[in-house]
Order: sequence, then structure tokens, then C-alpha cells
Amino acid sequence: MMQILIILGKCVSRMSQLIGKGSGSTWPGYIVLSMYPRFIARLHRMNPQTQIVFVSGTNGKTTTSMLLSSMLTSHGKKIFYNQSGANLMNGMASGFLNASRIDGKISYDFLIFEVDENVLPLMLKEVMPAYIICLNLFRDQLDRYGELMTIAKKWQTSFAKLNDVQIVLNGDDPLVAWLGLGIEKPIYFGLPVSQMQKSEIIHGADSTYCPRCESKLEYKKVSYSHVGDWHCPSCGLNRPTPTYAFKPFTSELSGLYNQYNMAAAATVAKRIGATDSEISDALMKVHPAFGRQEKVQKDGKEIQIILSKNPTGTNQSIETVLSLSKHPRVLFVLNDRIPDGTDVSWIWDTNMEQYINSFAEVLVSGDRVYDMALRIQYAGCEARVFPSLEEAIETGVKNTPKGETFYILPTYSAMLDVRKIITGRSIL
Amino acid sequence: MKHTTNRQNKKYQLTIGWLYPDLMNIYGDRGNVIVLEKRCKDRGINVTVREIGVGSTEKDLQSCDLLMMGGAQDMQQEIVAKDLQKKKKAFAQMIEDGVPGLYICGGFQYLGQYYKTADGTKLPQLGVLDMYTENPGRERLIGNIAVELSPELGITGTIVGFENHGGRTILGKSIKPLGKVLKGYGSNDSAQEEGAVYKNSIGTYFHGPILPKNPMIADWLIEKALEKKYGEKVMLTPLDDSLAASAREAILARM
Repeated sequence: MMQILIILGKCVSRMSQLIGKGSGSTWPGYIVLSMYPRFIARLHRMNPQTQIVFVSGTNGKTTTSMLLSSMLTSHGKKIFYNQSGANLMNGMASGFLNASRIDGKISYDFLIFEVDENVLPLMLKEVMPAYIICLNLFRDQLDRYGELMTIAKKWQTSFAKLNDVQIVLNGDDPLVAWLGLGIEKPIYFGLPVSQMQKSEIIHGADSTYCPRCESKLEYKKVSYSHVGDWHCPSCGLNRPTPTYAFKPFTSELSGLYNQYNMAAAATVAKRIGATDSEISDALMKVHPAFGRQEKVQKDGKEIQIILSKNPTGTNQSIETVLSLSKHPRVLFVLNDRIPDGTDVSWIWDTNMEQYINSFAEVLVSGDRVYDMALRIQYAGCEARVFPSLEEAIETGVKNTPKGETFYILPTYSAMLDVRKIITGRSIL
Repeated sequence: MKHTTNRQNKKYQLTIGWLYPDLMNIYGDRGNVIVLEKRCKDRGINVTVREIGVGSTEKDLQSCDLLMMGGAQDMQQEIVAKDLQKKKKAFAQMIEDGVPGLYICGGFQYLGQYYKTADGTKLPQLGVLDMYTENPGRERLIGNIAVELSPELGITGTIVGFENHGGRTILGKSIKPLGKVLKGYGSNDSAQEEGAVYKNSIGTYFHGPILPKNPMIADWLIEKALEKKYGEKVMLTPLDDSLAASAREAILARM
């Protein structure tokens, strides 16, 4: 039974690659799961020597998975990870399919999966991972996911049922750190306070009230959004000290949020036995995951694509762009398809006003191009409006002087569209 | 938007009270404040945004000429309900006196008589508006929505936005809906009505937020606030709202 499913799944995967419909990262999984819903659990039981790592949270899943994979490879382990970032059940089943041989044997030491934050509890019923990394919880796609506290409580309930799973929590995110209270021996990652640059919370921060007693949290330092050196003046809950201390990481990945992704990956790598030099060697070799600060060339100009799908992510993307270029030319692409969330109200929670005067030129496109144009207008700048994404990219590239970079900040489905226009090939 | 030529002839001043910005802010509701503030500034109206939060006094609240309160997650809403108890009297009086306000989702529900949760618990609310809200525990009403404004408002047109609510609000006889639902759900599953208008207060499930794409509502609120404060008829100078019109058309064409 399993063998037939694996062969079938692999055929579908191969076919979808051949006909250019993408890399086969969701379809094969969909097909095997609809024929045998316990496919993932069964395949895992057949390969008990293989350890699973789940990476979940609102922002940074794909990059952290990639980083951990690179660090563990450098440590001499055989790693499989889902490069396409398909993080729902179908994507995970496809990953298991791709990782296994035709006879159902998996020869990898670790399978690393990014897991959608809402699917995590469901996934934990199917597969028992060795590690779960909880990166952060920010508002994202409220039309589908609902409230952060609801997600946190769901995680809490499902974590309470686990045995022998090492849970790795972002101690600088109060809501994520709070989950450690009900868990045996959690480990924490975070940044040294010296790397936190802001002194106060800005608008759009989500978890600024104590998850335990509902009092307003106080911050000595803030990294971004509600992530920082926090404590509750009322009940005394506070930021746990990171289990391992690291110096600031050096790699091609810019932005403070990537320092967090690196800290998360390094913490798990270290727990597994990687040395500091194996970790830093790995970081020297990594390149951005697709659509996450990914650089592509077009007409002799450089384009950098930085996925921007929620308020905190977008603020961080813009701050990263401004750290790379003083007066960047940027294109915002706003879609409202299912993977993006059909509610685009989140653009009003970005801190556009704070950054708007730094841009050399702002272009907007996407399914909700006028909504984005309005956001830019109320921030105090006239955006150039392009209902056609092709024209937006073409104009942006043309207007970018040689030697400079054109920055594209798209939502998820928009990022796939952008890549397809630039590279002529789709990824999913 | 550069509207330096669109200054009002008279020098006006407005204080916008933003209720619980760090708690009631879940769906980009801040956009409403950004729009009100900018549309005042573009007309040369001197505008201050005052944040009314946990610990603010009744006096702080009473210093405001126009109020805005957004929606929230459950935990945040509990914190707000506790704190608002202390300012309840002044708040209710301001609404009765015709201080204009915009109340979104949780903020809207809070103005009613009670909120009945999915397990049947009746939570008393501010009690200013003749309406109540029930959460039947069924599916949330989520999606794009288009509404034709009620003639009572004195402005006409179709407004568009996004709704996402579990609660269903039922209006009593003494209160008018904001408008008639053309596409989408509205305040409850059956009445084909959305929101409420009472004196100069508007309650609605529209977020998205409501004001950027529907600037006529923003101007209605500003106008009412100025008229109340200065005791005279106010005609706001028009602004260029072509982007908002395009945004509305684009959504309507898809619905």
C-alpha cells in the first residue's frame, strides 16, 4: 500500500515538474493524503531513526529552516528540508514523499519542515517531531487565523500532550515565551540586549499586555514590534535569558529579524551538537531563501525581492531596505488571494509614515493596487500606480540607475507572480 | 496629497480622541485616525490626536471633539471593558450630546445593550444604543462588503469595505442602520442591513479600514465635529479623492 502511494506520489511530482507547473511541492501530497490520510504518520513510523524538526511562527519559517539545514549539514548530518515553503499538510506530505526512497526508506538524519502556525496542533497529532521551534506570533491573515491569543492557547494545549519533544521558544516575544511556563525544560533563544536598538514600542505591536495577568508590559529595550527585553511590572513574568549566548551573526542575510532566525537555528544546531565554528561556517555560505531578500538580475540591473506579508514583516523589510540603500526605489505589490489573506487592512498597521520620505520613488501594483496607492498617499507621498505588474517591474528596472538595486516588496502570491515574471518559471 | 489651496477660510481646531489605540486596533483601524487627521490637515484645520487609554480620565475623554474606537481580540476587549467602566458615564453622555464618533466592530458592539456570548452569557454593554449583539457560535461573517448609505445620513453613495465578525447585531426601533447591504453579510445574517447611526455616532463592522476608501464618511464626521464645536454650518472644501473612487470601483467590479 505505502509503496504504491509513494510511487504514485513521486510520479505526480515528476510530472508536475516536467509540465512546468512548479516543483511539485503541494500536489503530490494532496493526492496521497486524499487516498490515505495517515500517510505521513505511517511513513514516519517506518523510519524511526530520522528526526523531525518543525519550524513554526508568523515570520521567518522558510529562512530559519534553510539556516538550520545549512548548520546541520556543516555539522555532518544528512538533511532534507522543504525548500519551497509549502507549509500546510499537503506540503508536508509532499516533503515526506520527496525525502523517501521508493521502498519507503528515508536515509536522512533530519527532516526539517516549516509548519503553518494554525496547522501546528493538527500536525502534532500526525507526527512527533524531536524539536519544535516557535519563532514569533504577529498579526497575520486575520480573516483566516483569528487572534494571536487563540493560536497561542492552541499551541499550549497541544504542547502539554507532548513527551520527549524539545520545544525551542523565542524568549524575546512575550506571548511565545509565556508558552514555556507549562512545558518541561524548554529552551529559549533571543538576542543579546545590546543588539536591541529601539527604546519603545511602536504602533502595530501585538502582544504588549502580559499573557499571564493582562497588565501592560514594560520594555527596557525593543528589537522590533513587541519583541525585546520585556517584563511584567505586575506579576513579574519576564524575558527568559537565552539558553545559549551568541555574538552578532555575520551572513548575507540583512535585518534584525534575520538575527532572530539565525539565533533560533543556531540554538537548535548547538543543542544537536554543532560547534560555534560549524555554525558560523554555515552562515558564511547561505543565500537568502526564495523571495526572502533574494537577488535576481534583469536587464543588467539588480532586483531584490523581500516578501512582505504582514505589518511587522513589512516594517522589517523596509528597515532592511533602508539599511542597504539610503534612497531606494521600491515597488509594493499587494494581492488579496487566499495565501495572502483576503483582508488587506493590515497595510494600515505598517509604519509607512515613518519611512515614506526616504524613498526615491514608490511604485504600487497587485490585485489591490489602489488600496496600496491610498496607503502611500495618506502616508504623504504619491505612488506611481500600475495595474499591470509586468509594467511596474519594467518601469522600476528602467528607472533604476546602473549599479543600484530595485526593491520589490510583495505579498506571498504576489512574490510568486513577481518571480515568474522575472525568471519565467513558477516555483509552486 | 497636497491640498494647500484647499484651506478652510476659518481657522478651526479639532481634537480627535483615539480610544485604546494599543488595545482596540486589530484590523488596521488606525487607518481611520490617519485619514481623519490628514483630511483635517489638508484643509488647514488644526488637529490633535489624543490617545485615550487605560488610566485616562473622564476629563481627558471630554476634551475630545471626535471619537474613534476600533475592534480588538478577546483578551484586549476584556481589559478595555474593565477600564471603560470608570469612564462610562461621561462617554455615554458625549454620545447623547452628539459628539461624533466612529465605532468599529468590538467598539460598535460595545455601544449596545448587551453582548450575548456563544455559551449564552449576557454581558452588559454601555447601553447607549438601542441594539444588542449575539454570538451564536456559528461561522464568522467574513469578506468584502458593499453598502448603500441610508438617506438619513444626508450623504449618498455606495461604500465598500471588509467585514469579519462572529457577533450579530440586531437594531431596535429607535436606531437607523448605516445602510443597506448590496453585497456581503452586514450586521447580522438576515436583515440585509449594516451598522448603525445614532445622533452623530456611526457604528459599523466595516474595517479595511472604513475611511480611506470611503472618505465621504470621514468628511461627515469632521463636519459634524466642527458644527458641534463652533455652532455654525460648515462646508468642507473638497479634496481629490480619485484614488479612493478607483479603489471602490475595483472592488465593486469584482464582487
